[in-house]
This record gives sequence, structure tokens and C-alpha cells, in this order.
Amino acid sequence: MIDSDFLSELERIVGTDGLVRDESELLTYESDGLMSHRSRPAAAVLPETAEQVQAVVRLCHQRTVPFVARGQGTGLSGGALPHPEGVLIVMTRMNRVLDIDIPNQRITVEPGVINLEVTRQVASDGYYYAPDPSSQVICSIGGNLAENSGGAHCLKYGFTVHHVLGVEAVLPDGEMVHLGGAALDSPGLDLLGVVVGSEGTLAVVTKVTLRVLRRPQAVRTLLAAFDSTDAAGNAVSDVIAAGIIPAAIEMMDRTTIRAAEAAVQPGFPDAEAVLIVELDGSQSEVETRFKQIEAVCARNQAWGVQVAQDDAQRGRIWMGRKAAFAAMGRVSPNYYVQDGVIPRSTLPEVLRRIRALEQRSGLTIGNVFHAGDGNLHPLVCYDEAVEGQAELAEHVASEILSYCLDVGGSLTGEHGIGSDKACHMPKMFSADDLATMQLVRVAFDPDGICNPDKLFPTPRLCGEVPGPYRAHPAETAGLAARV
Amino acid sequence: MTTITSASPADAVADLNSRLDAPVARVAAHTDIIDGVLPRLVVEPATPAQVSQTLAWATERGRTVIVRGGGTKIGWGPTSSSIEVLLSMSELDGVEAHRHGDLTATVQAGTTLSALNAVLAEHRQWLALDPPDEDSATIGGIVATNDSGPRRHWHGAPRDLIIGMTLVRADGVIAHSGGIVVKNVAGYDLARLLTGSFGSLGVIVNATFKLAPLAEASRTVVVDFPGTDQCAPYVAGLVAQASMPTALELAAPPARMLVRFESVETVAEQQASHAVTIAGQHGGTAVVLTGDDETCAWRAHDARVFGADQGGTILKVVTMPAELSSTLARIGEEAQANQLDYAVTGRAGLGVLHVLLTGGAAARASIIMALRSRVPLGQGSVVVRRADAELKSLVGVWGPIGDGLPIMREVKRRFDPTGTLGPGRGPGGL
Repeated sequence: MIDSDFLSELERIVGTDGLVRDESELLTYESDGLMSHRSRPAAAVLPETAEQVQAVVRLCHQRTVPFVARGQGTGLSGGALPHPEGVLIVMTRMNRVLDIDIPNQRITVEPGVINLEVTRQVASDGYYYAPDPSSQVICSIGGNLAENSGGAHCLKYGFTVHHVLGVEAVLPDGEMVHLGGAALDSPGLDLLGVVVGSEGTLAVVTKVTLRVLRRPQAVRTLLAAFDSTDAAGNAVSDVIAAGIIPAAIEMMDRTTIRAAEAAVQPGFPDAEAVLIVELDGSQSEVETRFKQIEAVCARNQAWGVQVAQDDAQRGRIWMGRKAAFAAMGRVSPNYYVQDGVIPRSTLPEVLRRIRALEQRSGLTIGNVFHAGDGNLHPLVCYDEAVEGQAELAEHVASEILSYCLDVGGSLTGEHGIGSDKACHMPKMFSADDLATMQLVRVAFDPDGICNPDKLFPTPRLCGEVPGPYRAHPAETAGLAARV
Repeated sequence: MTTITSASPADAVADLNSRLDAPVARVAAHTDIIDGVLPRLVVEPATPAQVSQTLAWATERGRTVIVRGGGTKIGWGPTSSSIEVLLSMSELDGVEAHRHGDLTATVQAGTTLSALNAVLAEHRQWLALDPPDEDSATIGGIVATNDSGPRRHWHGAPRDLIIGMTLVRADGVIAHSGGIVVKNVAGYDLARLLTGSFGSLGVIVNATFKLAPLAEASRTVVVDFPGTDQCAPYVAGLVAQASMPTALELAAPPARMLVRFESVETVAEQQASHAVTIAGQHGGTAVVLTGDDETCAWRAHDARVFGADQGGTILKVVTMPAELSSTLARIGEEAQANQLDYAVTGRAGLGVLHVLLTGGAAARASIIMALRSRVPLGQGSVVVRRADAELKSLVGVWGPIGDGLPIMREVKRRFDPTGTLGPGRGPGGL
């Protein structure tokens, strides 16, 4: 229970300047990037040191008050949704770069440091930080770690978990621990491997050691247009079959191409699909592979092929891709971003089902696709001014998830489960699977105060609404069925 | 909780077989001895259900279980004073699925790495791991120990490649984590948690991995240096030139480096010749190997420390990559001071080394303590890999774990409250 005594304690820890208790100011924090989920925290703190974080968590532990850590609030699954009776720990002031160690290819930062800032810090030495979520200009390392963020280049270089070497973290009882380390293979259980991607439910990270990579000698980026998403998908399959792992392969369909054009004019052709393929490595490797990619594109009737001649052109192509979500705002009053994963080879089948769903629902669905690793981002367009459309859009988005699961895919490739998809978890995992994951949860957080009501389904979150059965609009429209 | 019953092994076998859907339990034979300890009974399950039945029985009866794959690393970890049930996974083998279009495969835990890779090679793919003993080491054992080899430099370790797992808990519950897609952040990553857990949290029954395409061509540059001092500058020289080898190995003494390039023919050739030039600039004498010569060179390199005929103690020494020279020098000095023969091989770019020591037990203990005392926590570690029981008890297998140990113990307690799974053998003595 948060009372005035508790607030005074918080104030003593973080100072007047570090405590937000005013209701209107708290509105700033009521949602993250998933704005359909809102909840005002009882209080927010903006600690500046790990010791302050530890003291806040310890206080919450003593009083059994829930707490939620938040970075820049760019998350898309409501993972940083505040608890109405809890404390929101806003990590943005902990944004110092603590150590740059080029000989060891390491950098140690506080969690509030922005993703792109890590690369900026080491760029002059010829290094970069590989995970590049589309929000990299604004999202913070702490949030990346919580979500195990990927990005366009994770096909070749992996996710956040492959680049975090060690953390300092405050456990839900206020104990500070060090997991992993600056060196590889710290003896002990790989708890770091499970904390990364745990969506803030196991600990609050206060310091992170990351690995940075040497910039490759050469990078080449190609954009190719196709007359169908199937043709583009076949080209992707041929690339993989040729034994090539590009740094990135991205696909956009007509809807998202048009949206990106309208928003940032990257000069994309008006096609049914475009592929962006990027190769990196040694000069000779890139040149050899690039010829193979061009041949694959030609074999699949690609047209309008553009090869970036310099960093500016390359930047423009990527701007078009990375702006795709936000650009949907140009073509639709509202849109719902879905994040699902399929085995890449099932792409044609799943896209056909999505097209059929689009026709049945009457809602436009754009697709942006990390084609190399099967991560789909369908964008369901709707107009919340039209009654029932917002709900319909949410159901259409859920239906797409069921297509992903039907082919052995996943509920989420990078946005996380958060509060958005917790109730979907039983569709992917058995009760035993979830109970086993809970063993980790209760080991770290027996009181359930660390980012509660996220990731795991609970009766409170997912229970049936009492009362007589009423068909949902999506059911009457033949879009969904209760099982 | 754990009670060693006075029932004879034969009675225990009968008791367990009555709970199994097939009589896969038997009395242990001398070939089942681990670190001089004869298990009471051996179970050879052919299905995950039989693993589950065995563990449920063991937990209920208060018996301890040790899991064995190919047995190649069974001596790793602390020695147990008694072993009640040895769970031998070699019957649980086979590739469940190779989704070559998706570059993934699901394989049962008892499958050997070479058997898996033979199947994957049909589509010119492989599970990009090359730890020692690939013909007998099983997937379950490799994952449970997070073991890897030279090409970890480019491809990573099992924890980097695993995308899904089926495990059986100590209470017999079968659970899944991850899935069959390479990108997936749904739920806690139990597969990664179990990787490197030495069987302390659950029994791995299958695993799903992301795969790599087999390279069309390979070249290995073998560089001999006058001393180990030149190795680290050579590594730095390669990194500075954005060289992208798949393996960057060191061996000493005498100082030698093996740098492997895998790509299409012309590219591998070109990169190798570039590495030769850089070697010359650092005072090394280099040759480029391919084909059988290359295979032989790598086999000989592996055997330096892990060869079957090598007795002695094997340590895993991890250092910060930039401390490579000083670490090698220290190992040399300490070996000399303690009158020990030694050999080092390992990942020069990552700072992960294996050290083979031969000589007196007291001297071996002394060098381990000396090396550990010089490594700040988090900046490296000295773990005993293979050693006699006496040395293991003298110095401990793991060395300091740090302030994460209590939460590791708590995770172990939640997964295995009765201490069924190899008590004391897990990392940090879990």
C-alpha cells in the first residue's frame, strides 16, 4: 500500500526532483508504445544511481509494493505498463557511459543509454553495436535487454542476448548481483541468459557490459521489386538455399511501401513487394555474394533493382524500412502492429491466409517482414471513429497470431509478451511449460512484486467475463471462433 | 530427504522397472563407473516418457540421478561420493526434424554430434559446433556443458545456437521452452538456462538449433611464432584489418596460431593470403593448408589438450581477450615454477583457453590456486575440466562464483527441491 509515509521514504531516496506523485504529471507514464493499454502508477521515481534503484526496490520489497521498471517507453507489448498500486522506476536518468574498452571490444553503460548512442561511442574506433531495433534512435539498452530486442540485422548477428556479456542487477528483494561478466563463460548457471528477455519480471538491471563488433570492411545494400510476395518469398528461399546468410533480408508489401513513400520518400518502386538485402563482410566476400544475390533476384523476375552506391543511398533505403510502422499513420487513422514469427518457408501459405482475412474483415493489412528469420509485422489498419473497428482490428491481429502458431511459429519475435499477449501464452505453451517458467519467476520474485501481471496469464487478466454468452463482433463476422 | 535405502540394486531395478512402461533399468556394470564410483543402477530410456517415469520414481524414492550422454564429459564437475541412478541417454537418439528451408533442426539428446551433422550435410548444412569427441559426444551432453570448439569464434557456443528444448524436471514433468523458429521471445528462455547447467535443473530430452550453411571452401593459415608474445598482436592485427576468420586458435608451447577462413573458394583463398601477410608483419612463419592437410592440422590441434592418450588435468582458463599475452606468460611461469609440463590451446580472439597439466598433484593444485588468485571476479575464471577426484576436492572445480550464487541456489531449489539431479555436480556446487 502506498501511503504518505511510503512516498516520503521514496523522496528521501531519490530526492524531491526524482519523485513524481502529481496525478497529471504521472499521465506521462501511463502507457508505453502500446497505447491501448493504460494505467497510472501510484508514484514514479527517476533514480540516478544503482544505489537509489536498490533502495527503492528494497523499500518496495519491505512493504510488498509492486514496481515496474521503464526505459524510454518504446516497447510495443505493454511490458512497461505501470501497476496502479505500484511504483514506476523510470531509468532514463541513468544514462552514463561508464567504460569504453576497445582492446577487449567491450562497453559498459547504464541502462538508460540509448541504443544508437552505444554505436556513436565506439564508431570513431571502427566499432558498432549490432542489435538495431527500428526504434534505435530512441529506445534504451535497459529496455532492449528486457525484451531481448532484435532488429533488421539479427539474422546474421543475433539478438541482444548474444551481445550482453554481463549485468549488475537488483533482485526483487533488493539484493544486488552480478550476472555474467566482462569475460566470457562466468562459472555458474546462465541466469543472464534468462534475465535477458524476461521483460523486467526478474530484476532491475543497473549496469550492462556489451560487446561491440568491428565494422565490416564492406557493406552492400540492394533493393528489388517483385510482382508478388510469393516471388519475393521464393527469392529469399533461394538465397538461403545458396548458403548465404545476408546481414539482413527485409520484405515490405504494397501497403507498407506506399505508406513509407508517403512518409519519407525513400524512392521505393510501386510494387507488390520489395526486398531489401544487405550483405557485409570482407570486400571479396561481399562482391562474390552480391553477384549471387543479383542472380537470384533476376531468376525470380525482380525489377527496379537499386543498389546503394553510398552511405546516403543506403541510409535512405533503411529509412524507408525503419519508418514503415510510423508511416502507416499516413494511410490509416489508426493501426495495430502485430509481431509474430513463422518458419520462413511457410511464408506464402501464411500470407495467403492473411490476404483472405483482409478481404473477409474489410480491414487493410500491411506487412513488413524480417524475411530472413520469419518475423512478421502485420499492420492492421482501422478507424477508431468507426464503432467496433478497433475491437475488430484487435481480433484480426489475434487471428494472425493463430496462423503463426498453426505453422509452428511464435507469439512474438521481438516485441515481447508483456501485458498485450499474456492471455495468448496458453496457445503456445502447455500448463506444464508455463509452470516450469514460473519456477524461475518464484525463485527471483516469490512475492510477485516485480512487474506483475506481465508475460504470464492469470485468471485476473484472462478469466472469462461472468454473465450470459454474447457473440463477439469478430465471431459474427466469421473471423474468430471460441475453442 | 535423500535416503539411501538398504535394498539391493536388483531390488531397486525391479522396483523401478515396475514403474516404467518398458524394463529399461538394469544393475550397473563396471563400464558404468564414474570417477571410481559404481552407480547402483543404470536406466537406458528410449522415450521422454521413460525419462519422466524414472525421475518421478527417483524423486519419490529419494534417490539421486546422474545423466550421461556419450560419457565424454562425465568426469567434469565435482566427484560424487555415491551415485544411485545413472540415466544413460544414448538410446534416445535420432534427428526429429531437419527443416532445411528454415535452417533449423530438432534432435534427440542422445544423438551424437557427428550423427546429426551427417544428416544435416545432406542439405549442405550443419550445427556449427566443433567441440572435442564429436563422434561420441551427444547433443544433450554438449548442451548441458555448453561445450564448443574452435569455430565458436564465429558461430558461437550452444547457448548462442539453441532455440528450443524439451526437458524433464526432477519431478517427472515434461516441459518445453522456445520453439522451432530462430527468432522468438515468448516466455522465459529455459533452453538457455539449462544450457551449461550440467544436468542440475532438468534432463534435456531434445533440443532445437539454428543451423549454418556448410561453406564451399576452407583454408587454414598455420602460423608459427618465436614466442607467445607475438600471438596477441597478431590477433589485434587481424581484427584491425576486419579479417573475419571462423576460427582463431592458439596453441603453445611452441607458439602457433591456426586461423581458418570458410567461404567460397576465391574468398577463402584471398582472406588466407591476407592473414599470411599480416603474420609476416608480426614475425610469424605461415603456411596455408586445405583438404586433408587442413583436417589433419585441426585434428592434431584438438589432440594437443583433448587427445585420448593424454592423461593429466585439463583446466578451462578464461581471460579478457586483451590479457591473452599476460595470461599465457603467467601460465608458463607458474608451470615452470611448479615443474609441470603444460600445453595450451584455445580461442585467442575470445580469451577462452584449455590448459593440459601433467605432473605432481600438489603442483597442479598450486598452479590452479595461483592462477585463480590473479583473476578479478568477472574478468576471467579458472575451472577444472578433467582431473582426478583428489585434485577436484583439493581446489574445487569451479572457483569463485560471485554474488549470483544465492539466486542460482534458489533456482536449483525451485527446480529440484529434493536434490535428485546430481546434487553437488552443478555449476557452483548446485
